[in-house]
Amino acid sequence: MSIPVFRWRSPHERFLFLLSPLLVIFAWVWVSRLGLFPDQILVPPQHVWEAALGLWESGELQMHLQQSLYRLVIGFSVGALLGVAFGILIGLSNTVENACSPLFHAIRQVPTVAFIPMLILVFGVEETFKIIIVAKAAFFPVALATHDAVRGIPKAYFEVARAYRLPTWLLVWRIILPSTVPPVLTGLRISLGRSWMVLVAAELLAADSGIGQMMEMGRQMFRIDIVMVGVFVTGLIGFSLDRLFRSLEGRLVKWKHQS
Amino acid sequence: MKRILNLAGNRVFQGAVLPILLLVLWELASRQGVAYAYAFVPLGQIWQGLLELLQTGELVTNLTATLRTMLVGLLIGGTLGLAVGGMMGIFRIVDLLIGPLYHTIRQVPLLGLIPLIGLWFGNGDFSKVLIVSMAAFYPMVLNTYEGVRNVEKRYIEVATVLRFSRWQLFRRVLFPGALPSIWTGLMHALAFAWISTVGSELLFAAGPGLGGMMQNAQSISRMDIVVIGVASIGVTGLLLNAGFSRLRRYSLRWRETG
Repeated sequence: MSIPVFRWRSPHERFLFLLSPLLVIFAWVWVSRLGLFPDQILVPPQHVWEAALGLWESGELQMHLQQSLYRLVIGFSVGALLGVAFGILIGLSNTVENACSPLFHAIRQVPTVAFIPMLILVFGVEETFKIIIVAKAAFFPVALATHDAVRGIPKAYFEVARAYRLPTWLLVWRIILPSTVPPVLTGLRISLGRSWMVLVAAELLAADSGIGQMMEMGRQMFRIDIVMVGVFVTGLIGFSLDRLFRSLEGRLVKWKHQS
Repeated sequence: MKRILNLAGNRVFQGAVLPILLLVLWELASRQGVAYAYAFVPLGQIWQGLLELLQTGELVTNLTATLRTMLVGLLIGGTLGLAVGGMMGIFRIVDLLIGPLYHTIRQVPLLGLIPLIGLWFGNGDFSKVLIVSMAAFYPMVLNTYEGVRNVEKRYIEVATVLRFSRWQLFRRVLFPGALPSIWTGLMHALAFAWISTVGSELLFAAGPGLGGMMQNAQSISRMDIVVIGVASIGVTGLLLNAGFSRLRRYSLRWRETG
């Protein structure tokens, strides 16, 4: 799925670009002023802002964010590294691919969130379960992208490598890794988004800290302002991570075209 | 001897080795003691659990409820996505007005919206269907939009020369031209709807549904039921995907393949 990039052409269109989000915020302020709904249901924007400031000043928000990002980084790194390694392995060896692919595709088909109750039973509700679920979410898209990328490398490269009697580790390091970078990066970006969603879901279900747990506590205490702060923060994190990887992809594709 | 060698070269056989090995290891692990049998439920117990769930009709009730949530959500979200994506693709003004809002809201992980939706609409069927509809809506908008925008300009020019009415242009040129991309969107929508159905059932554990069934089983430490739940979700997802793929092939059969 490619995402259309907005290129505004005139100040007129730039105004239109900001119009709809601004209109929604305006409508929000206006409806909450009218008092159609009680404040507990439709929180005025300024209350959400105050709640965010309060959470920030007490250090709660930073603490939850730190916890969530820590889990995301550890789980994602483990899952992505294993995914790249496994992808290269099944990309290079037909035997390994034939042996692993039915099981691989069967597990890949099951939505990651469905494994949450199982993992809770085995590992309890502590950190291990969250890191494993994030790693699982990251592993499959990365492995699939790496596999496709390795299979897409022109045969000639391998023939040259064989002619030069390149040892396998050099083949992986000098040929396979560089030529698979752009598609693997796309796989990494997609799985980072999924990992983030799965982590938030896991924290909503069972956690004693993290941005998901902050929202769940807010829900139990009927604090819609806190829940909305959580929604904005998760959206912002997801958006920033996506942008970060997109700019990385852009740079590396440029490098590819230059050489 | 030769037959055995042939068998070893068979892809089906090669693919079956690893799962069978894992099952054997699982069964062996379950016999190592009580603590192990808790995590690795003996296969016999899973089979017993399955029979029990089938006899009480629990599995069928929950599966039907899950499928209903998913299909209703897919229908609502898919239809709305088709309409909004089509409008965005045809009218530039709609694109400029709705596009930015759509891309902003899409950033929030869907399951992260669950506490908010739970507070606003409770944790009943409505909230579940709402989440699933949103999951189906996003990819549908994106792919319909792209499909309509990428219809070959030549076709539209021909339609203009032939003085097609707006409706004819849509019915004869834009819709068929965008159909392959719309189907891609629908396949994505199906996958996301299925994930979010399971997710929303786990998080709003009220009412019937496979997610709720697994959540209850987890709270009473019935690993066998949890495993059956995971397997049912996997198999149902696979069948849905296969069914929709066939429909897609049938609906796009007029396309030249090659």
